[in-house]
Amino acid sequence: MKLPPVVRLVVRNFAANLDPITLLVMFGQPAFLIAILGTMFNQLIPTVGASGSYIAFLVPGMIASQMITGAVLSGRVFWLDRRWAMVEQIFSGPYLRAEYLAALLLTALLFSLVGVGIMVLVALPLVGLPALSLFELGAILGTIALGSLFFGGLLIALGGRIRSANLYFTIQSLLQYFLIFISTVYYPVSSRTPEVLRAIVYANPLTYAANTVRDAFTNRFGSGDLLAGAVLASLAAVAFGLAIASFRRLELGPVQ
Amino acid sequence: MPGRAPKRISDMERNTTSNDRYVAPSGSAASVGSPRDVVLRVDRLGFAYTPGRFAIRNLEFEVGRGEVFGLLGRNGAGKTTTVRVLTTLLPPTEGTAYLFGKDLRRCGRSERARMGVVLQAESLDFVSVERNLTLYAFLWGVPREVAKSRAEEMLALFELEEVRERKPWGLSGGERRRFQVARELMHEMELLFLDEPTVGLDALTRRRILDYLAGRARRGLSIVFTTHILQEADQLCHRIGVLQNGRLRAHGPPAEIKRRYRGARTVEAEFERALSNVQQHDLLATLTREGRGFVPTAVDAGVIAFRADNAEDLVAQISRWAHAIDVDVVRISVREATLEEAFVNLVSEDPAADSAGRSELA
Repeated sequence: MKLPPVVRLVVRNFAANLDPITLLVMFGQPAFLIAILGTMFNQLIPTVGASGSYIAFLVPGMIASQMITGAVLSGRVFWLDRRWAMVEQIFSGPYLRAEYLAALLLTALLFSLVGVGIMVLVALPLVGLPALSLFELGAILGTIALGSLFFGGLLIALGGRIRSANLYFTIQSLLQYFLIFISTVYYPVSSRTPEVLRAIVYANPLTYAANTVRDAFTNRFGSGDLLAGAVLASLAAVAFGLAIASFRRLELGPVQ
Repeated sequence: MPGRAPKRISDMERNTTSNDRYVAPSGSAASVGSPRDVVLRVDRLGFAYTPGRFAIRNLEFEVGRGEVFGLLGRNGAGKTTTVRVLTTLLPPTEGTAYLFGKDLRRCGRSERARMGVVLQAESLDFVSVERNLTLYAFLWGVPREVAKSRAEEMLALFELEEVRERKPWGLSGGERRRFQVARELMHEMELLFLDEPTVGLDALTRRRILDYLAGRARRGLSIVFTTHILQEADQLCHRIGVLQNGRLRAHGPPAEIKRRYRGARTVEAEFERALSNVQQHDLLATLTREGRGFVPTAVDAGVIAFRADNAEDLVAQISRWAHAIDVDVVRISVREATLEEAFVNLVSEDPAADSAGRSELA
């Protein structure tokens, strides 16, 4: 049976380019953070809002952050394809640019979901299984999907414009740490948070995603989360547009 | 002394080393004329990286089914740009080309699915050599079992069996180039673009790959091939095109290119006994008296060599002179111009002299 072109490209993205060490670091690090950071800080922080324990607060945040992990891995596939001329090789074959872009975004989404699965497995013995309704489960997956599209689109758009590996990976690392640390993934925002920092945290799309996943985990999903979802969807559409524009102007040829 | 010279002249041997081609050029070139056999027709094609600065311009040539077409040119002549435009990686700025009869600008997946491309830039996935082959076959929709057996065939053919488990970036330059060609041959195609596929390969491997490609061409695969190694173009290609400054200066069968741009040929005469100084002087004086257009390149007692515009006349003159003084000629050879000599002559000419920027020989 001949698979559709996008599926073939996604399978290839998973099979090629990504070595086990990279995957271990990318997925192992957040799992390690849940297990160690969560357990250690749990002793120091008695309760965090509706989540209760710190570890119960941390787990939904780490799950949401997997959309960044997925996007980073997908961006890495794209960059390595450019670096090793596989983009040209694929474009000169039976594939459309749109299919390659769709495959990259789908790769980001699937990596995110793999990450979510790993986080859930690591968190289960620590916080137990949350009682989620189908709607809440859908809301979590939808948020992860939109976030993957947003961050994936953003990194692909960047990857298509930058011709230096050093610059690309530096920007990607900075963006990754900036987005994760200036969000509500690791800690809540309160009235005691400095105003400037609070503004940045609330402007960060990862905050919407982390809050939405957290609200779903604590069965407090509400209209605010729907609004956050709509904003995330709009941002995902913009990032998708940027990725398309970047692909249209993509300069094929050697990159450093 | 009548009666002696013909015997010696009949002993004359012609050195035809440049004619030991893999595929006879006659016949296939003729088949190119039939429109239904044309897989690629290039029609006044041009491409400019920046407005007004054309990297290639006014290219016109055709490639027939089973034909090997070589694109020759110096560095920066436009060979790689031509390949990139013809493989739809770059859009034409002016003119067009027809891939399998369809305008290049409207070519998509279905046309690209019928061709293969080995680009100059090495491309690879971060898996073993063998996995690269099967993964690439998977991308092309080749069934798993076929891919597996074809990978074995390619690993053996391109002598990559010993490095099958290694990652391609750890291979030597020659192995990586072989790997590139092997990987592209994992899928079926009707037209194959090869952008300098034999760079860095040793002579034996090069010959093996060229033999294989010639065989595929005989079974109907059309090949567009760029190279700096003119000898291999001479051996493999039915027709060649010479690019200079983005213009096609000439195209046609290698023999035609050589005939037209060969310049002087080398005539070498070997005598049965060493010529005395007086005889050498007399021979040169006689030849100078009887005609021009030759330059002595080596004169010693037993062998004398010239570069001559009209080799046949010179052979006749030497024979007459030897006959007249009763010296036996052991051997007279005329070495045909190589494609390299023709190429050098061609690209050394002033391109402006050719008002159309190209010359049709086919």
